[in-house]
Amino acid sequence: MSVYIQSAAQISIQEPLTEKWFAEPHIPAGNFNLSIEPDYKSFIPPAESRRMGRLLKRAVTTSKEALRKGGCEMPDAIISGTGLGCIENTEKFLNAMLDNGEECMPPTAFMQSTHNTISSQVALTLKCHGYNSTYSQQGFSFDSALLDAFMQFELGKIGTALVEGHDEMTPDYYNMLGKIGYWRKETADTEKLRKSKGVGSISGSSSVSILLSDKLNDNTLCEIKNIVTLHSPNKSEIWNVVSRLLAKAGVAMSDIDAVVVGLSGDAENDSVYESVMSQCFTDKPVVWYKHLFGESFCASAFGMYVAATILNNRFIPKHLLYKSDKGINNVKNLIVYNHFHNKNHSITLLQSIK
Amino acid sequence: MAEIVITGLGIISALGSGIEVTVGRLLSEKSAVEKIKHLQTVHCDLPAGEVPYSDTQLREMLNIAPDYNITRTSLMGQVALKEAMSQAKLSDKQNFTVALVAGNTVGGMEKSEQYYHHFLNDEEYKEYIGLHDCGACTEMIAQGTPFNFDLVTTISTACSSAANSVFFGADMLKTGRADIVVAGGTECLSKFHLNGFNTLMILDSEVCKPFDKNRRGLNLGEGAAFLVMETAESARRRNVVPICKLSGYANRCDAFHQTASSPEGEGAFLAMEGALADAALQPADIDYINAHGTGTPNNDESEGHAMMRVFGDRIPPVSSTKAFTGHTTSASGAIEAVISILSLTRGFIPANLNFSEKIDSLNFMPVTKTMQGVNLRHVLTNSFGFGGNDSSCIFSKIEQQ
Repeated sequence: MSVYIQSAAQISIQEPLTEKWFAEPHIPAGNFNLSIEPDYKSFIPPAESRRMGRLLKRAVTTSKEALRKGGCEMPDAIISGTGLGCIENTEKFLNAMLDNGEECMPPTAFMQSTHNTISSQVALTLKCHGYNSTYSQQGFSFDSALLDAFMQFELGKIGTALVEGHDEMTPDYYNMLGKIGYWRKETADTEKLRKSKGVGSISGSSSVSILLSDKLNDNTLCEIKNIVTLHSPNKSEIWNVVSRLLAKAGVAMSDIDAVVVGLSGDAENDSVYESVMSQCFTDKPVVWYKHLFGESFCASAFGMYVAATILNNRFIPKHLLYKSDKGINNVKNLIVYNHFHNKNHSITLLQSIK
Repeated sequence: MAEIVITGLGIISALGSGIEVTVGRLLSEKSAVEKIKHLQTVHCDLPAGEVPYSDTQLREMLNIAPDYNITRTSLMGQVALKEAMSQAKLSDKQNFTVALVAGNTVGGMEKSEQYYHHFLNDEEYKEYIGLHDCGACTEMIAQGTPFNFDLVTTISTACSSAANSVFFGADMLKTGRADIVVAGGTECLSKFHLNGFNTLMILDSEVCKPFDKNRRGLNLGEGAAFLVMETAESARRRNVVPICKLSGYANRCDAFHQTASSPEGEGAFLAMEGALADAALQPADIDYINAHGTGTPNNDESEGHAMMRVFGDRIPPVSSTKAFTGHTTSASGAIEAVISILSLTRGFIPANLNFSEKIDSLNFMPVTKTMQGVNLRHVLTNSFGFGGNDSSCIFSKIEQQ
């Protein structure tokens, strides 16, 4: 059994539906960053579009684009991760309820508030009756969705899957999360996030759709060799899991070209990565991505997307490297490592097919 | 493929806490859906299946200090988790890999809606901001045991969340990614949910009447349930007695409408067919169906049509237990899985309360009087969610050797 990433599409604080960020990244200017919306007209008929919340439009668009790029009309499964779901509609309904004393509330906002609205809207648009699921486990939501998809492939239940990560950020939720240490108090740029560790990071807004298949085709970006997960591990457990992952895939530690991690500039978050890097991946180049895409519950979807893009190009540009003054060529194997609050951890091994 | 067995059950609902209380209440044929008492809402005339314990009482049951920040969703989850793990003799982790998978939809909303203006305007109750999301609720449930789980995750597919958690758990066992999985779901009543369902005009102002011609809607409920799942080999190794086996399951999407089910019940049909195929069973092998049966005009007719497509004119005994518990949304898949397993192992079929007249377009009537002393080999339970997230699974008796 092999699992390949065929294609991916994103809407984020980078230019939407392109890989322009790979050569010419847009550097976020502030701490609260909204996504750049594409023109949805070419993806969703206006009458339907008007009835959809922003996150649903984004999900339908990135899904359709990933399917088009990957040459697939109908996936066997649609599996999403979302930390907060359609929070804009949730707030709309909650505010109406609290302001109007539980009377005269908008049913559409409620209908579009549940997390599974995203996967089911994609299914509805595609008329896809296959496996459909949604994970909501904070910064491990996308990782859970990917793990589920991988298991479905392993068990021979599916041949293709859309695996997605979607989260939006609203001004109110941004302020609330700010009260519990999610964001930097001062305006933080890439250098600040890298050099001066503090409390919090910069916010992003994430929509990534990734098409997986058990068959190679001309579009294939890379292969996912395996994904393993741990919860509240000690250092030796991580080392053991990494060793087993590599041994099973027949890849030596010396074959790993770089490790893609969720460094964000938040001291507590980063110290976990730094400790694991020094313990398990000594001297390996470190790729980061949250300085470009921001922090969000589904940010780890960008880790997978960035890694797949690197492997398709077999090149790591300088701006993705945490500590280096030049890019890296001939990239063959990458580890994507993510953790959330040092609770759930995921380690994924990706390999170039070229 | 490894045989998946169930070795522990835990449940809390409007019927009370624990499997013995639940069985007793089901056999008594007495609904626990009553006018709202605990939830502070202007719609307190609406009936609902509230868990008969206040937060304070739940904290006392769990020995949790009054000043420890925790949501009602997580409190109920901890009660059910403890019971399930105790039955499965899971007190010591030893060298097993154990995952916790829980279904959940509105997370800590019941606290967020009370403290929302504080969240926005001042620093009071800000600890609850981080407990709002679904994943945080599951982490809080995990923290209620001294156990260090190897994976903690949350599935949010609305009213099929808990069923899909069981499926994810089974797949973890089959792929060797865990030795034991504790899977289920939890949801507490909130004004958000109550008003949401109310704006969709699908709440009955009286106790619901699943599968009745004159049904008018559903009643919301709350609760939690968990199942301890492992391979038969693991149960043997740990010397625990399997309760039953999970023989098949399937998740399909209706892909028809964001909240309504298709008239022909396509998603439900595919889910039931998929579960039968996964279990390598024929429709005639199913001895009881614990239906999703919410009592809404749309669900019951659509689910009924799907059953007729799968079972033809030989529909097995069917009942919905929603009139006992209310619709416990994200927890319902696990609550009804526990009820189905209790039916299977103790040989009874719970009554479908409040039924008087058959739906014209359906060829069957639900079981209206509790059937006791019946020999059930395979039971099928349905859980359908908004967005057409339809899931069915089959539990089977373990043949004595």
